[in-house]
Amino acid sequence: MDKVRQQPPESGRAEGLRPRWGDWLVAAVVVLVAAASLAAWLCRDGGRPETVQVWQNGVLIREVPLWSDVTFTVEGAYTNTVQVSYGKVAVVESDCPTQVCVHTGWQRYAGQTIVCLPNGVELRLVGGGAEIDAVTG
Amino acid sequence: MKRLLWLVGALLLLSGCGTEMQRYEATYWDVFDTVTTVTGYAAGQAEFDAAAREIHDALLEYHRLYNIYESYDGLRNLKTVNDQAGIGPVPVDTRILSLLQFAQTAWTETGGRVNAAMGSVLALWHDAREQALEDPDRAALPDRSALEAAALHTDLSALELDLEAGTAFLTDPDTALDVGALAKGYAVEQVAAAAPDHFLISVGGNVCATGPKPDGTPWTVAVENPDGGDFLKLLYAEDRSVVTSGDYQRYFELDGVRYHHIIDPDTLEPAAYWRSVTVVAESSAAADCLSTALFTLPQAEGQRLLDQWGAEALWIGRDGAQVMSPGFSAYLAS
Repeated sequence: MDKVRQQPPESGRAEGLRPRWGDWLVAAVVVLVAAASLAAWLCRDGGRPETVQVWQNGVLIREVPLWSDVTFTVEGAYTNTVQVSYGKVAVVESDCPTQVCVHTGWQRYAGQTIVCLPNGVELRLVGGGAEIDAVTG
Repeated sequence: MKRLLWLVGALLLLSGCGTEMQRYEATYWDVFDTVTTVTGYAAGQAEFDAAAREIHDALLEYHRLYNIYESYDGLRNLKTVNDQAGIGPVPVDTRILSLLQFAQTAWTETGGRVNAAMGSVLALWHDAREQALEDPDRAALPDRSALEAAALHTDLSALELDLEAGTAFLTDPDTALDVGALAKGYAVEQVAAAAPDHFLISVGGNVCATGPKPDGTPWTVAVENPDGGDFLKLLYAEDRSVVTSGDYQRYFELDGVRYHHIIDPDTLEPAAYWRSVTVVAESSAAADCLSTALFTLPQAEGQRLLDQWGAEALWIGRDGAQVMSPGFSAYLAS
């Protein structure tokens, strides 16, 4: 016996409740939008900075992609040796008197900075999704 | 449906109206031996530049007045007061008098934890740090007997202020002023009071907001991790000041031990309770003063000061443990 025939009398309505292709389409769209939002939210929240900006005396003198492996020096009153290593940056050596820049260590999050006051240098991690207006520490 | 579209359109127009303010930023390197960043919303670049310049110029004046290391032509500053210790009263700017009055209040109210008369002790640590950083092979601790001798001359009651004559006088020739724990916060406080709304002033992590952003949202202030890496906390600030004292930036090393710059007035050694203390307060002067005081105190005694001053704090312990005062969570973002 055919299964359809075993439906209760109001089988007409039950038939109407069965998902049609349009319903699948709507469901697919909902799932896609949800997945995309989640992905966007995750990216924003764990957003990694993309670039190291090198500022000297208030002037942007260099930009380096954070996902690279380079070492360079910033010359001024003193010499800072900056190392960028696959997502993180540090002043690995400096002949400045305070060593605050070297002590700051590796930085890897958007909004973080490394400052060498005697050399007038500020390294800034920018890009990614973090929305930070100031840092205390 | 059509009516709905009109409504949405009208709302969008309305919300765009009057919020033409843009965000701008300026950085300065010449005040209080640190980096100053002024962030603010203004109708245009010229308007922002004028406001930022005023903030900077005022900070620079405070920097010179409160300097204990440098002399400036034609300016009597705190170095002048130190140089004239035991000799005679020095006529000074009202901005010096008001800072020193605040220093007296801070000294009394923190039970001596914040002591502007510690100059002679701090100078010994300052010199040791400079020498160690210049030549790590010659790194040495300050002589213990010299520290103890200097500690005999750290009584702030040796400071006589004559408000009518406008003079400051250190009656003891061996006492010296050092306002490192107070000056930045006090200056930022005065400057912020005169600044436009919707500005965020950060003088080396001494952060002060003059009101929320124009859309009403608060500023986000990140608390640095003493060990580097991700920020410890994100805080919301609308009209509050946030200041952190930590052991991880100004220090020197000797035999693998780190000697930082915040000296415990009891032990005359670097304070050993915490890695960092972040204070949120209504006034930048109070936040600066409290962060230093709390850094040199156990939690319970620090909490008493917070209650007294109506402020909140986040302590980072030596093991990395985070401790918050009861009301601190109100400032946490997310």
